[in-house]
Amino acid sequence: MNINATLLGQTLAFVIFVAICWKYVWPPIIAIMEEREKRIADGLEAAKKADDSLEEAQLAFDQEMSKAKAEAAEILEKANLRASQIVSDATAKAETEAEKILSSASKTIENDVNKAKEELRQKMSELIIDTSEKILGDEISPEKHQELLKKAASEL
Amino acid sequence: MASASGEQTSAEYIQHHLTNLVCGKTPGGWTCDHNAVDQMGFLAFHVDSLGWSIFLGLVFVGLFRLSIPKLSTEAPSGIQNFVEMCIEFVNDNVQSIFTSAKNNLIGPMALTVLVWVFLMNLMDLVPVDYLPTLAGEVAEATGMVENSKDAYFKVVPTTDPNITLGMALAVFVLIIFYSIKIKGLKGFLAELTLHPFGKWMMPINLVLEGVNLIAKPISLGLRLFGNLYAGEMIFILIALMLTFSSISIGLLGVGLHLIWALFHILILALQAFIFMVLTIVYLAMAHETEDH
Repeated sequence: MNINATLLGQTLAFVIFVAICWKYVWPPIIAIMEEREKRIADGLEAAKKADDSLEEAQLAFDQEMSKAKAEAAEILEKANLRASQIVSDATAKAETEAEKILSSASKTIENDVNKAKEELRQKMSELIIDTSEKILGDEISPEKHQELLKKAASEL
Repeated sequence: MASASGEQTSAEYIQHHLTNLVCGKTPGGWTCDHNAVDQMGFLAFHVDSLGWSIFLGLVFVGLFRLSIPKLSTEAPSGIQNFVEMCIEFVNDNVQSIFTSAKNNLIGPMALTVLVWVFLMNLMDLVPVDYLPTLAGEVAEATGMVENSKDAYFKVVPTTDPNITLGMALAVFVLIIFYSIKIKGLKGFLAELTLHPFGKWMMPINLVLEGVNLIAKPISLGLRLFGNLYAGEMIFILIALMLTFSSISIGLLGVGLHLIWALFHILILALQAFIFMVLTIVYLAMAHETEDH
């Protein structure tokens, strides 16, 4: 083993190469690596954020959706209620109308019947008087037997 | 390989592979002559180890710098994937060990250690004779040596203890620097002297902790050196089989070389990884304060 100045030469070379690496080789490369690392980390974080916001949006959407659904159901129910009310109202109105018509019709009929009865009574009494005049001659005049005639008419 | 084996004994062949190209200062001035190596003192350089080491360091820096203009946050491709994979791997390791303290030097240093040491180890997979033979031919052709056999060229830097201990020394200096910076000189000295036995046993504590401290860089450097040196040695021994004039031994050598190379890939990567992890661990220990 010959130990000589080669040792110091190598020490010097070592120091110089380490210094070159320290100043000119390591920093630019490690900077690039760190930058990329940061970019990847940022990207991942952004993706996570996007994921979160997507989830949030989905949640909001679901909420809105269920709210809208509930509203729609409510509206439908109301509409149904209203419709059935309208129908029942209309039915009731129609029923009363029909009753009204019916009652007025029956009244008219009754009136007509009464009128006809009155007319008939009139005719009958005249016919009786005529007949009686013919039978009895002058003995009976309408003026003399007015009272009698009225009585007979009311009995018919 | 080793074409003119007749002139070379096995021992010489191995020795040739384990000898560095040395340039150093002799009393007569600077020289790269192999025959003058004995006269060189401490002031000598293993030109081959150091040259490959610096070249591979430049490959590392160049490769990583090359990717920077093409960096994109959108769709990384090709070299950026490779570069980012390395950095992420290193960063994960640093962060798992450096849990509380923060130091932005550790990551770049660990990356440099991992890739650089791995590249240096990787030179072990180049067949042992290629580059030395090439270097010998070049040296002979350019007239630097008379015979290509006289040119010595050791390729794998991490099989040279100067290289591994040199890096360990830098780590050691950083350990001491951060220990003092984080804990203060007092805190560092207290750590060295006040435990495990309390203040009445200071000398013993100092010896124990001192050994503990010194052992870190030495074991760090020698572990890498030992593993790679042994691996290289086995490659040389297998290559030696191909110098015999027997076809069956030669074929066996080729098979063994393939098996050992495949297995060695694991060792190369593992040793580079271990060197990096230990560097991080030692520096993390230097940053720890509420230990005692």
